[in-house]
Amino acid sequence: MYKLTGVTKLYQKGRRTVPAVRDLDLVIEDGEWLAVQGRTGHGKSTLLNLLGGLDRATQGTVELDGTDLGALRETQLTRVRAEKIGFIFQTFNLIPTLSAAENVEAALIPLKVGHADRQARVAAALDSVGLADRAAHLPSELSGGQQQRTAIARALVKEPKVLLADEPTGNLDEDTRDEIIGLLEHLWRERGLTLVLVTHDTSLARQAQRVGVMSKGRLTIKQDNRPGPRPETHPVTAGHDPVT
Amino acid sequence: MFFATYLRRELRRRMRQAIFVALGLAVGIGLVVTVSAASAGVKKAESSVLASLYGVGTDVTITGEAPQAKKRSANGQPPKGGTTIQGGPNGATICQDGKCENAAGKTISSLAPQYSPIKSAEVADVARLHDVAAAAGGLLLTDNTITFPKDFGKAGGSQPPTPSTVSVDGVAARHTALGPLSAASLTSGHSFSAADSDAHVAVVDSGYATSNNLKAGSTITVDSVKFKVIGIVRQPQSASPPDVYIPLEVAQGLKTGPLGVETGDVNTIYVTATSAADISVVQHEIAKLLPHATVTTAASLANEVTGSVANAAKLANDLGKWLAILVLIAAFAVASLLTMSAVARRVAEFGTLKAIGWRTRRIVAQVLGESVVMGVIGAALGVGLGFAGAAIISKVAPKLSANVPTSSGGFTQSQTAVGPGGVTHSSSPSSASHVVAVPLHPSITGSVIVLAVILAVAGGLLAGSFGSWRIARLRPVDALSQVA
Repeated sequence: MYKLTGVTKLYQKGRRTVPAVRDLDLVIEDGEWLAVQGRTGHGKSTLLNLLGGLDRATQGTVELDGTDLGALRETQLTRVRAEKIGFIFQTFNLIPTLSAAENVEAALIPLKVGHADRQARVAAALDSVGLADRAAHLPSELSGGQQQRTAIARALVKEPKVLLADEPTGNLDEDTRDEIIGLLEHLWRERGLTLVLVTHDTSLARQAQRVGVMSKGRLTIKQDNRPGPRPETHPVTAGHDPVT
Repeated sequence: MFFATYLRRELRRRMRQAIFVALGLAVGIGLVVTVSAASAGVKKAESSVLASLYGVGTDVTITGEAPQAKKRSANGQPPKGGTTIQGGPNGATICQDGKCENAAGKTISSLAPQYSPIKSAEVADVARLHDVAAAAGGLLLTDNTITFPKDFGKAGGSQPPTPSTVSVDGVAARHTALGPLSAASLTSGHSFSAADSDAHVAVVDSGYATSNNLKAGSTITVDSVKFKVIGIVRQPQSASPPDVYIPLEVAQGLKTGPLGVETGDVNTIYVTATSAADISVVQHEIAKLLPHATVTTAASLANEVTGSVANAAKLANDLGKWLAILVLIAAFAVASLLTMSAVARRVAEFGTLKAIGWRTRRIVAQVLGESVVMGVIGAALGVGLGFAGAAIISKVAPKLSANVPTSSGGFTQSQTAVGPGGVTHSSSPSSASHVVAVPLHPSITGSVIVLAVILAVAGGLLAGSFGSWRIARLRPVDALSQVA
C-alpha cells in the first residue's frame, strides 16, 4: 500500500523553482488500479517517479508498505525497486543488444536468482505475454507491441507488488494498444497487482478502478469504481485527509 | 554468464568503436614494446661490447698505472734492459745492456707490460674486501719484434722496419671463469685447466690464428719462448682481443725488459662483486686500497662507449621512451573520450537498469568489463605490433658501431721512431679507441609483455573509470527523462 503525505516536488529551472507536485496526500491500496491523466508537464510522470523511488520528494513522505522511500539510502531504494516495483515505459526501454529473453532476465539479475530458475521464470513471463516464440529475437526484430509485451514481461518476471506504467500505449497503434490494455488488465486481475498507470489515453484510463487528473501538480480523483463504500468527495488539497 | 553475454553483445554493437579504441591502445602498447625491445637490444649490444673488454662476470677491472719510460743514464746509455738503435755511416747498431752490435739482419724482440705492476699480495687484498666475491690477476704484455734489413742504416738503405706486435695476456689458469677468457667461445682445442698453470701452453685468438695459420697443436714463440697452442678462441664483437693467452705464472716468468714486472706481479685484476648493487661500493673500496690504480666498472666503461650504439641507446631511452609515453597518453585519452561518449549514448539504458533494480556498481562493473576487454584486445594487438616492430628493426637496422676506449683493459700500441739520434722503440698503453660493429637484435622479454598487458588493461580501466564516474553520478530519473 502506498501512502503519500504532504508530498511536494520542486524543480529548479534556472532561477525559477517549479512545483511539479504540490502538497499531495494519497493512499493507493494493495491491488488497486489507479490511472492518472493530465496534460503534459502537470506532474504525472513526477508522481510516478516518486512512487517508483526514482526520485525523492522535496517535502512530505512517500511510504510503501509502511517504509518511507525518501528515508532510504540509494542502495536500499534500489533494492526496493528490484524486489517490489515493476516499470513499464512509453518507449519500452529495452536493451537493444539483448534478446527478448535476456531483457526479461535482466530484471532478475539484482535478485541473484540462480541460472536455471531464471531461465524458467523468463520463459514463463514471456509465455504469459504471448512471446514464447520470440524469446531469442532482438528488440529491433520485434514490433512495437511485441517490444512493449517484452517490457511488461520484464516488469512482471520478478513478481512485483506494484506495477508502474508510464504511457504504456503511447507509442502503439490502435490495435496494438487494445492488445496491451487487455494484457495489462488481465495481468492486474490475475496477479492482484497494484497498478498505477499514467496515460493520456481516456479509453485506457476508463479500465482503471480510479482515475485521477493531475493539474498544476495537484491530483483530483475524477472516477472511483472501487467496490465498497467510498468517501463522497475526492478533492486532494493541502491539509485535508488523504484520498483513499 | 549474463555479464559475459551482455558484454559481448555490447562490444559487438559498438564494434567499430571497440576496434578503434583497441587499435589506439595497440599502437601505444606496440610502440612501448618496440622501444623496450630496441632498448634491450641496444643494451645487449653494449653488454656484448663490454663483455669483450671485460669478460662475462667481471664487475670491476683494476689496471696499474700507465708505465713510465725509464730515463736514460747520464752518459746517454739506455736503462738496464733497454735497447737503443743508432744509425751511422757503417749501418745501424743495436745497444742493449751496454753491448752494441750491428743491427743489419738482426731480429730483436722485447716484451713490455701494458701497465705498471700490481703486487700479487694486492690481488689477495682485493679478494678479501667485504663486497668482493672473487678476484683474479692478469698480466697484459706486448711482444714487439723487429727484424732489421741487412742494408738498414746505410745511406740509401731500407726504411725503418715496422715492428710486429703480439698482445699477450697472462691469465689465471685456475680462474678462467673470471677475466678475458670468460666471454670467449672455444672454436677448437681446449682452454686452460688448473694443471696448465706452469705449462708453456697458449690459447690463441681465432683472428690471430687465421692470420698466422695456427691451429691447436701448433707452436708459437713469445719473447723467444715456445708455447704449444692448445686451443683457439673467439671473443665476441671485440676489435682488439689479445692475440695470445698464456698461463699467468708463465707470463710472470718472462723477461719483460726495462719496464718489466717482477715475479708474482700482475698488472690487471678482474673482480666480481658480491652483488650488482655492491659494484660502486667495491669500486670505492678498491680506489682506497690501491690509490694509484685505475678502477673501471662496466658502467663507467659504458659511459666511455660512443658511436651509434650510444646514439641508439640515447634514442631508445629518450626519444623512444617519450614517444611511447605520448602515444600511450593519446591512446588513453581517446579511449576515455570514446568510453565517455558511449556512456553518454547509453544513459537511458543505464537509467533503465537502475530503475529495474541494478545497483550502480553492477553497471559500473559491466562498463569496466567492456573497457578492460578492449584493453586486453589492445594489449594482444599491441604485443603483436611490438613483435612486428622488433622484427622490422632487427631486419633493417644497420649494425651499430661502438667506439670503445682501449685504456681500460685494452692493449698497448707500439711505436718505432727513427730520428737523428737513432731508432727508438717503445710501447705504451693506448688512450685511443677502436670501433666495434655490433648487430642490433631487439629482444622482447616476458616482463615487457607483462608490462604491456598491464598498461593496456590500465588504459582500459582508466577509460572505464571515466565512464563509471558518469554512471555513478547518474540519477535514474534524469537518465529516463532523456528518453522521454
